[in-house]
Amino acid sequence: MDEVQQFLELMGSKLTRVVQKPRRLYFYIPPEEVLTVADYLFNQLGCRLSTATAQETYDGIEIIYHFSLDRKGQYFCPRVLLNKEQPRVKSIVPIVQGAIWIEREIFDFWGVEFEGHPRMERLLALHHPENLDKPLRFGRQV
Amino acid sequence: MTENKIPVGPFHPLLEEAEYFELKVEGEMVVDIDMEIGWMHRGHEFISESKAFTQSIYLVERICGICSTSHPLACVHAIEDIDNIEIPMRARYIRTLIGELERVHSHLLWLGLAGHFIGYDTLWMWAWKYREPVLEMFEAISGNRNHYGMMRVGGVAKDVESEKIPHLLQILDEIDRKMEMIAKAAHDDPVLKSRLKGVGVLKKADAIAYCAVGPTARASGLAIDVRKDEPSDAYDLVDFNIVVLPNGDVYDKLVVRLLEIIESNKIIRQCLEQLKTVPGPILNNVKEITPGEGIGRYEAPRGEVFHYIKSDGTNRPVRHKVRAPSYVNIPTFMASCKGIPVADALITLAAVDPCYCCTERALRVVNAGSEHLDLLALSRAKTEQLRREIYGK
Repeated sequence: MDEVQQFLELMGSKLTRVVQKPRRLYFYIPPEEVLTVADYLFNQLGCRLSTATAQETYDGIEIIYHFSLDRKGQYFCPRVLLNKEQPRVKSIVPIVQGAIWIEREIFDFWGVEFEGHPRMERLLALHHPENLDKPLRFGRQV
Repeated sequence: MTENKIPVGPFHPLLEEAEYFELKVEGEMVVDIDMEIGWMHRGHEFISESKAFTQSIYLVERICGICSTSHPLACVHAIEDIDNIEIPMRARYIRTLIGELERVHSHLLWLGLAGHFIGYDTLWMWAWKYREPVLEMFEAISGNRNHYGMMRVGGVAKDVESEKIPHLLQILDEIDRKMEMIAKAAHDDPVLKSRLKGVGVLKKADAIAYCAVGPTARASGLAIDVRKDEPSDAYDLVDFNIVVLPNGDVYDKLVVRLLEIIESNKIIRQCLEQLKTVPGPILNNVKEITPGEGIGRYEAPRGEVFHYIKSDGTNRPVRHKVRAPSYVNIPTFMASCKGIPVADALITLAAVDPCYCCTERALRVVNAGSEHLDLLALSRAKTEQLRREIYGK
């Protein structure tokens, strides 16, 4: 059984709106399951975190984590949908050290708070001459 | 012993771009490092969302002057991934050819800079001298030495005419000879060995933890390479090896790049030979992009370039995420720079071949609208703020 089938059998009950394409697997998970899924993908399957993409949708702030299983050229993309008013999710930095800047950038641009992040500070807007507040949220000034 | 801090940057002769490192030292040893980015405001992700797909390719080509094929190639891979668009065989070879030429010139550029940073200017002059014929090949193929404008959704923009191929092979022969000479000379050089061996070691476990990519990861024993892991274009049609070394020090990073140049030359030769016979066309006509999302990546000289594009069926992306390799390689300094002397820290910082304008691609430009900013007033305000912080008045 390949890794995708194995993952779907083990985590299937936690996943919704699964979209499977050649070498890509997109799915939603509840925000409280982020650590379980990240731990399985990074530590058990041996995936690498390529990056995470945040975007604001009409339903909330969505974060897509892009885990790459390099030996198979396969991407696992868990998504979480967060409340717009107080976007908050557990940090995966205790599992994946490489997420430290990725989460800081999302905090900086979209205002998502990552609980348990060792250094929840601005990253790219730190030295911006204007005091930018969540510059990539809807209603931004162009 | 007292702990002192040595600031490097944000504007420093070692760094071609603005970046700030704070080395915490005890005596001569670096005990900790802090990094601050965010000095450049380029807004590519933001601007791309207001451009058509065809314009986005031009835009991302300008993220980086050195990776000016890797970003557009990853971008077109992402758009093609939305609809599983096939590209013609001839275009696959041309894409691979351009990508590998870029790897050769980028590695030679780094080799020269690395030589310059350790005071070995002969290596710098050699490397940059032998980089010129590679740029000549680019000029012969695309008309440009740097931004080639070759990538299109569904293929490439320009063909490599068959009458040019003997001339290109002739230049490649010359590059091959020089590369073998420079690789042997650098590999056996006692100065490079004594200066770089055992310096700035990134252990394999740290490379995995920080999700390092490219030569930085491969020099630490991690056998990852997008060209082998998810072969696109002509990478499954050509014969080449990925170079993996075990020690993780700056010397291994240098040798990985040198050997990769020789492997790239092998790929370039195979592509040129194939282009003598493989028929066109070079571009499939792609009329529209359906709603959906796609991931595109390419093994840039510095490592995996990642693009994510979400489409809503219009002619422009709803979301365009760009992640350059330096973004994940720069944080590895937190592991590789600790416990080394200050004199070794600078070459360790340069060893991942960091590109800061790639790293800081996201944020919007200052006042992208029509309002003008008084930079002099901003500078005075910043000086005043610093004065207050230092003197407390």
